[in-house]
Amino acid sequence: MNISGSSKMASKRINKELRDLQRDPPVSCSAGPVGDDMFHWQATIMGPTDSPFSGGVFLVSIHFPPDYPFKPPKVSFRTKVYHPNINSNGSICLDILKEQWSPALTISKVLLSICSLLTDPNPDDPLVPEIAHTYKTDRVKYESTARSWTQKYAMG
Amino acid sequence: MDDYLSGEEEDDYYYTSDQESLEGLDHEYDQSNLQPLSSSGNTAKVITKESLLAAQREDLRRVMELLTLKEHHARTLLIHHRWDVEKLFAVLVEKGKDYLFSGAGLTLVEDDPTFSPSSPMMMTCDICVEDVATHHMTRMDCGHCFCNSCWAAHFTVKINEGQSKRIRCMAYKCNAICDEDVVRSLVSETQPDLADKFDRFLIESYIEDNKMVKWCPSTPHCGNAIRVEDDELCEVECSCGFQFCFSCSYRAHSPCSCSMWELWRKKCHDESETVNWITVHTKPCPKCFKPVEKNGGCNLVTCICGQSFCWLCGGATGRDHTWSSISGHSCGRYQEDKEKQLERAKRDLYRYMHYHNRYKAHIDSSKLEDRLSDTILEKVSILEKRQLQLKDFSWVTSGLHRLFRSRRVLSYSYPFAFYMFGEELFKDEMSAEEREIKQNLFEDQQQQLEANVEKLSKFLEEPFDQFADDKVTQIRIQVINLSVAVDTLCKTMYECIDNDLLGSLQLGIHNIAPYRSNGIERASDFISSREAAGEKCQPSNSGWNSEDTSCSSRKRPRKEGIYRNSQTTLLDLNLPADVIERK
Repeated sequence: MNISGSSKMASKRINKELRDLQRDPPVSCSAGPVGDDMFHWQATIMGPTDSPFSGGVFLVSIHFPPDYPFKPPKVSFRTKVYHPNINSNGSICLDILKEQWSPALTISKVLLSICSLLTDPNPDDPLVPEIAHTYKTDRVKYESTARSWTQKYAMG
Repeated sequence: MDDYLSGEEEDDYYYTSDQESLEGLDHEYDQSNLQPLSSSGNTAKVITKESLLAAQREDLRRVMELLTLKEHHARTLLIHHRWDVEKLFAVLVEKGKDYLFSGAGLTLVEDDPTFSPSSPMMMTCDICVEDVATHHMTRMDCGHCFCNSCWAAHFTVKINEGQSKRIRCMAYKCNAICDEDVVRSLVSETQPDLADKFDRFLIESYIEDNKMVKWCPSTPHCGNAIRVEDDELCEVECSCGFQFCFSCSYRAHSPCSCSMWELWRKKCHDESETVNWITVHTKPCPKCFKPVEKNGGCNLVTCICGQSFCWLCGGATGRDHTWSSISGHSCGRYQEDKEKQLERAKRDLYRYMHYHNRYKAHIDSSKLEDRLSDTILEKVSILEKRQLQLKDFSWVTSGLHRLFRSRRVLSYSYPFAFYMFGEELFKDEMSAEEREIKQNLFEDQQQQLEANVEKLSKFLEEPFDQFADDKVTQIRIQVINLSVAVDTLCKTMYECIDNDLLGSLQLGIHNIAPYRSNGIERASDFISSREAAGEKCQPSNSGWNSEDTSCSSRKRPRKEGIYRNSQTTLLDLNLPADVIERK
């Protein structure tokens, strides 16, 4: 399969995902292309209410590779987040964005997974070891820092 | 002298001639020492691109027969278990068939309800979200069904990522390995090259994922792999002539252990070219002992570790200085501690240079002797033309091999000694006295070997093709005696290393490949049992069809038939490849 052939398949699939998202938007997120480029999207995630990120609105950028959905999309946070699996560049440590990616997954499922990652961090596979350490040893401190970062960077 | 030459032709072992001759000469050497150490014959096999499929067929067949599986299913199981048939069978016995299959991502379903006649003609593919006619869709063994173009795109991405061996189903969290026939047929429709690549990866898994098989590490790569029968530490020679350690895949290095050789290689790489320059132009830092070069200025030098020292005496100093003096430092004052540190650093460097020079000298000699082998063999052919009493000149070639073999042992005995008696590896393993005793013992052996090797080299370099009958006979006796002597000394050295040196250590991580009188084992051609029985082993339906066409583009490493079967044992294993070709 040449690149243009797979890109054509990719844009078809991306368009379909966009239509589905608009028709049946998920509860806590929204997503869509930034400009005319269908391969570059921006998404917003509402901080889950049962997490210290509650009340925050987080911007996420999504880049689709030309051979999407056979390769995973590149997803990263644009808003600063205090979280063991999200680093200062906004990179996310999430298995389905790497080796566990399956072409049967969609952006909508990826965003929902990120929401649940916000609620339930995975401190055993940390991207930021210091935050993971705080999360494991001093949950109160973790939550207050996460809350203050949310207020500072993800509100207004 | 005729009487002890007569028996030679019936003997299988090359060196038996030495033995008999020496018995005739009433030689004092113990007969048992003269037997080749390993009489088990060839166990290592050369696997070429052509024989790769045949080599794995026996393993595949065993699994296929026991579990009544198709070949590609058997391959999936074997790849998962790294081609260890015994381990695979053990899992089957202990954990059962279901566990074995699911662990390897193998799912077998008999029936296909999705595509029964009653199923609709069109279905939606969950990947591209298009409605596709069912005959353009493929259902994998795990039951997941997607359209053919999505499958093909998925396979393309995975093969290009180098994951031919375990392409999983596209469904989320589905562990099943895709059927290799499906992969092959869907990919080859549009990209036959990629399908070939897929096949090659699959078949080469037998080499890549198998601890009993290794690529020959020759550069440029000869294309061969070597299979051994047991995983004991050994050194082998590929049919391309490259001799390597099967454990670390570097050039054969015994009596060095793999880790010693690794350290030595790095050390030589770092230091060999520059070591002379360093001694002349640098002084070791008194703190970290790194060599420091003075790049101008006054005699206060600062090492990158931060330590300042006086260039004149090498002693550590403070940082403040004028052009003429350094604070808190006067060179005239004798400071024992610093002196000791400095001496130590110097001693380390000299120690390395001592061993390195000797190692290098023997390596260089062996390179020269390699070239000499041509002239020596020429001498033999001149002798053969002359009408001498002596008709058999095998002592020349056998002497030559012993020379090569022992020269190699001698070369590598220096890095061995460097680490064995140095502080880097075994500082706490022996007391200073113990070390001294052992070092003396070893060095005595090393020196004896060295003396005999040089003598042997000298005799073989003599222009004996010009000599008269009686003088040739004399040289012959010398060469035979020395050949036996160096062999015995090599054996003794290996025994000493095994029993008294490495054997006495607490850490059991240093092992060496055993010494073999006949040299490093030369791997023989792989011949499958069926082929040997006369049945031609055909490539199966696995699509490995590049086999015939690729032959011509590859250099066949040697002439057909030369090393086949029993003939191999007639040839001396220590002969360089080109010598054997000429025989």
